[in-house]
Order: sequence, then structure tokens, then C-alpha cells
Amino acid sequence: MADKLLIGVSAQGATVGLWRGNRIAECHALANDESGHAAFRELLASFDNLPAYLMVDAVEEDYRFETLPHAFGSDRAEMVARKLRQHYRNTPYMTAWLLGRDAGKRRDDRYLFSALTNPELIDEWLKAVVARGLPVAGVYLLPMVSAALPQKLDIKAGNLLLVAPHVGGLRLTFFRDRQFRLSRLTRGDSGKGENRARYFGEEISNTRLYLHALRTMTLDEQLTVLLLDRNDDLADVAAGIARDNPSLECVRLGRQELAARLNLAESLLDASPYVMYLHLLGFRAPQSNLAPANVTLGHKRYQARRGIYMGAAALALGSAVWAGANLFQTLMLRGEEEDAARERAQLSAQYLEITRQFPAAPASAENLMKTVEIAQKLRESVRTPEMMMAAVSRALEASPTIVVKEFGWKYGTTEIEAESAGARTASPAAAPAPESPAPAGPAIVRKQSGLIEGEIRPFRGDYRGAIDTIHAFADRLAKEPAVAAVRVVKLPLNVSPALQISGNTLDSPDQSATADFKVVVVFKPNA
Amino acid sequence: MNQADLQALKNPLLVLAAVLLAGAVAIYATGQLTASAQRQLTQQQAQLKEARTRLQKSGEEKDIIVRYLDGFRQLQRSGFVGEEQRINWLDGLRLTNQQADLFGVDYQIGVQKPYQFAGAFSPGQVELNQSVMRLRFRLLHEEDMMRFFNILARQNTGIFAIDQCSMRRIDTGGVIRYQPNVTAECEISWITAKVAAAGKQ
Repeated sequence: MADKLLIGVSAQGATVGLWRGNRIAECHALANDESGHAAFRELLASFDNLPAYLMVDAVEEDYRFETLPHAFGSDRAEMVARKLRQHYRNTPYMTAWLLGRDAGKRRDDRYLFSALTNPELIDEWLKAVVARGLPVAGVYLLPMVSAALPQKLDIKAGNLLLVAPHVGGLRLTFFRDRQFRLSRLTRGDSGKGENRARYFGEEISNTRLYLHALRTMTLDEQLTVLLLDRNDDLADVAAGIARDNPSLECVRLGRQELAARLNLAESLLDASPYVMYLHLLGFRAPQSNLAPANVTLGHKRYQARRGIYMGAAALALGSAVWAGANLFQTLMLRGEEEDAARERAQLSAQYLEITRQFPAAPASAENLMKTVEIAQKLRESVRTPEMMMAAVSRALEASPTIVVKEFGWKYGTTEIEAESAGARTASPAAAPAPESPAPAGPAIVRKQSGLIEGEIRPFRGDYRGAIDTIHAFADRLAKEPAVAAVRVVKLPLNVSPALQISGNTLDSPDQSATADFKVVVVFKPNA
Repeated sequence: MNQADLQALKNPLLVLAAVLLAGAVAIYATGQLTASAQRQLTQQQAQLKEARTRLQKSGEEKDIIVRYLDGFRQLQRSGFVGEEQRINWLDGLRLTNQQADLFGVDYQIGVQKPYQFAGAFSPGQVELNQSVMRLRFRLLHEEDMMRFFNILARQNTGIFAIDQCSMRRIDTGGVIRYQPNVTAECEISWITAKVAAAGKQ
């Protein structure tokens, strides 16, 4: 299964290379006639979704070096497109390659504009590719592809003229500092025998003169001529060039060396002079792609599909690794859990063995201890009204005129209510709601509180005396060590300025008036 | 990107979505497995630690059983440990009334509820409950009330706490004879403990 389809097109025919792995696996040379086109279509029939790269070797090519004001983004794109339309009106195959910035003050952008001026040359071949539905990756000019050759062949010359005999003529491409500057394809036969050396020499001289005219290189400058001799038949030509042009350095790379340096099978070099360029194209396509967007649309979709599939594969791999790591961790955890369970079972067995010697108990040791301790604490926490009754009795001893009518007592978190002395009703439904369960936590402070309802007897209307007696009683109560507070909540006469008082001094106090009072006593929390 | 582009990329996008879904499901499912295994391990380690501690303290445990078993059984007999013994309480009330020479006791027992001050005793696994009993009785003298409760406590029918009481003098019109002079109303809480049987904790 091939990875790429490499097609080298010339006026004479096409060379089709099938790229597999990192090399050309197969090569087919096809003539530019009906039979060649049919064979090409037949060859394409066996491929699906294979990106096609077209390379053109034609006389009808054009190269222009130009500088344009520095711009970027859409401005640059518009300017370059306008310039391309100005230069090349009759072909859709054109491109601009940004070489860099000018050294001048304006720092303009330097461009190489190139185009295939005879689009018909590739029409038949391209139609066949498109008809088969193969994505077209690009259309490239051969000299642009060959720009990678000096580096690949490890030629370090500053001024290098690459000379190679092709089917339609002689291809001469000039590189300065490994950068493409000029290329031309001579028409006609590349000559034979003695004539050939002269022919090569003349074309090299013409190219030098042309370079001189373009002010690209002077005639005095050192030039290295690199002869690509794939058939090993240019040794005499190289010797002739060297002899006739002492100022030139002529380097010939023979078949074996070319194959070795390009890592290419020697047998493939027999098929076509374009094989070595297709090999370079297979490795890396140059930036200068002549194909318009409508031609490469299929390839863009192909790349997007590949990208998505690769993304999906990466995602699947990542997920698998993640899930695998999770499973591995799960296994490790389960292993640890089994170890812990085993150890626990051993310890439990030992413990059971030991507990067989224990006395029979209805609950665990901890619960036994806890229950007994709780019972003890509960008993200690119990309070009775006795202590408060005793305190009240002691306080009453010095006040024989006080008669206690009602005594209430409460032990809780809240004090007894002054209006209600304890449990008045025997009906739980009518009783106030019990205090809600206290949450565990800080100790809850409960305290004893009591309500004493009484009267002064006998009372003869002497409110001052009665109130003094009640206050004295309250004071004596407050002096008890367990008492925290004593409040007189009701007196026989309310002397508050906020209330109205009425009565008659002639009323017989023995018959109607009473001197009722209420006193609330609160014990200290620990009493 | 137009409709034609989307159509061309339909299959890869479907594959991507499927892979995304499958990957997410796989990661989630295996993550759940890992979390579950982690939880089980933590639980197992806690149980192991507990077993280790229990084994280390087994000698101490025996001492505790020997020391507290009698007290515990006594509490069981008194009715503090276990289910409420309401019949015992009523028997206790009846006997107390007789022994204290009172004029009868009205009672009403509420429903059992968790003991409201249980938190103060750090009960741990012991469940403390209370049932409030409201008492109404008549006394010859104020001191009879304390006598009543002291006799009730000696009946050994459980542990109770007096929550509140009130006494009111009855107007007898100055006649002195053997008759009730004071009415008393009290609320007491009968407190019981439920303890898990050995080996059921």
C-alpha cells in the first residue's frame, strides 16, 4: 500500500513513482499520448485516497524576484494575489514564495514569484487524478523541488550550477548560497559524443552570461558546476568542461554516488531522470505550490480526515493508557485489601481464641464498663428538692409571719417560671413540651430553681412592714452558700411609678387585704 | 467550513465522537472501580487497625469484664439495662405508697424518648432513653414528699431523676386530724439503657 503518488510531468510524458515508507517503491514511465494516458488511468484505478504530488519540468516556466512593501495578514495576501494576477494572467498555476526581508532601510519583503505558463501541459494527467478522486497535494516546478538537492548531496559551493540532462533538453539551475536563483531548460537534444561536451559547455557559458546580465553573478566569480550523471556517460563532458573552462570547478556525480547520497536504488535511476527529483519531493514538498485552492481542496479534506483519525487514535491510546493505569491501580488496591483482610482474619482468630478464656458476659467489655459508669454518673447527677426546702426553712425561721402557700422546684437547663410553680397538671398532653434532647458535646449545665409563693400573716395594711419582712427573707435566703440568686417577683404592693394604685385606708385589713408575694431562688449550677 | 466539507468529514467526526465517548466511559468506569477499591481498602485497613488494637487490649478487656460484670448484672436486675420495666415501676409506686402511709398516688407515664441529657454522659454505643412519669399525691406533711422518693429509690426498680415538683397547702379550715394537708405534683424521668449484646456491636 503506497503512501504517496509522485508524478513527474514533462512535455514528453510522465514518470509515476509510488512512495512507500521512506522511499520510492515502484516507478513507471508513461508517454504523453493516448496509450500513456490510458496506462496512467489504469494505474490510478488501483488506488484510493492516495495523495498525489505533481512535479512539472517544462520550458514554459517563469521566475521573478521582487520586493514588495512589508505587510502581513490579509493585506499581504491581497497584495501578493494582485501581483500574481498582474504577472500571470493566463495560468492558474502560480505562486509566491516569501524569501525574507530586504537588507535596505525599508526592510521590504523579498518574494520569488513562479508560474507554469502552459497549464495544458499537465491538464490530461491532472484530470485523470481528479477523476479518480485522489486528493491533489500540490503542483510544483522541478527547479523548486531541486532546491533541496545541494543539501542532500552535501555540496557546499557558494555559486552552484546544477546541470542535468533531461528528456526534453538540458536543465541548468543556479543556486547562490544554496538558495534558488535561476533555472532554464534548453530545448532539443542534449547532444552526443564530442558534440555533447561542446553543447554542455555552450549552455553553461550562456547561463553564466545570462546570470551576468541579470547581475546575479559576475563572470569573474568562482562557479561550481555539478553534473548529475545518472547514466555514467558524462565523464568526457566533465573533463571537457574542466579543460575548456579553467575558472570553473566541475563536479560529476555518477550513478552509484547519486544513489548512495540520495539513498535511492540504482535501478530506479534507469527508469527516468525525474526519479531523483520525485525522491526529493516524496521526502518533502517545497513551499512553492502552484496549485490553486480548488485543486488542493480534496487534499485539504484528506489532511483534515487524517488529522481527525490521528486525533481519535491518540485519544483512544490516551484513554486506553488512562483506563489501564486505573485498572492497574485497582488491582494493586485489591491486592492490598486482600492482604489486610487476611491479616485481620488472623488477628480476629487470635482474639477469639483469647476471648474463650474470658468470663461469659452479656455485653462487650467496653459496654459493660460504660453502662456501669453511666449508671454511677446518673445517680450522682440526680437532685431532689430537699436541699432547697432546707434552705427555705432556715430562712423562714426568723420570719414567723411568713406563711408559705406553695413551693415549686425544678432541676433543668432553664429556671422555673414565676407564674407556674412546677407541674400543676397530671395530664402529659396539657403539659409544656419537655426539653428537647441535648446534643452530645460540651456539658449541659443544669441548675435547681424554686418558686416560693406565700403571704404575710397577720397583715394589718402595713405594706412597708410586709415588704421589709419579704426582703429580709429574701436576703437571708441569698446568704445560703448554695444560692446563686434570689428574685422577689411579686410584692404585696406594686410601687412601680408605671402603674396605678387605688384603695381605702378605712378598709379593714383583717378582712379583705392580703400581702401575697413570690420569690424565685436559683441555686449555683453544681449545688 | 461549508456543508460539503462537513459531509466529507462526517465519518471521521463520527469516529472521533465514538472514540471520545468510549474513552470517557472507559476512564469513568475504571475510575469508579479504583475509587471503590480505595474505599474498600480504607475500610479494611480501619478494621485491621481495630482488630490489632482489640488484640493488644485483650488482657485489659478481661480485667474490665471481671471488674464490671457484677455491677452490670445488678443494673440488669434493677431494670436500668434492657427494656423498660413499667410493671416494676408501678409495683414500686404501690409499695412506696403503702410504706410511706400516703393517701394514694396518681400517675401517668409518657412515651419513651431518647434521654435528653444523654450527651452529658458520653454514652458511646449505649443508648439511653427516658420515660417521663407525672405523679400527683397528697401528703400529711411536706417532708413526706422526700420520704416518698427515698422509699421509691430503695425499691430498686430502676434509676429515676426528679425533674420538677410543686407542693400546695390544702385549706383544711384549721381542723387538726389525720388528713392530707399538702398536694404534691412531680415529674420524674425513668432512665433506661439499651446495650448491644456481646458480639453484635
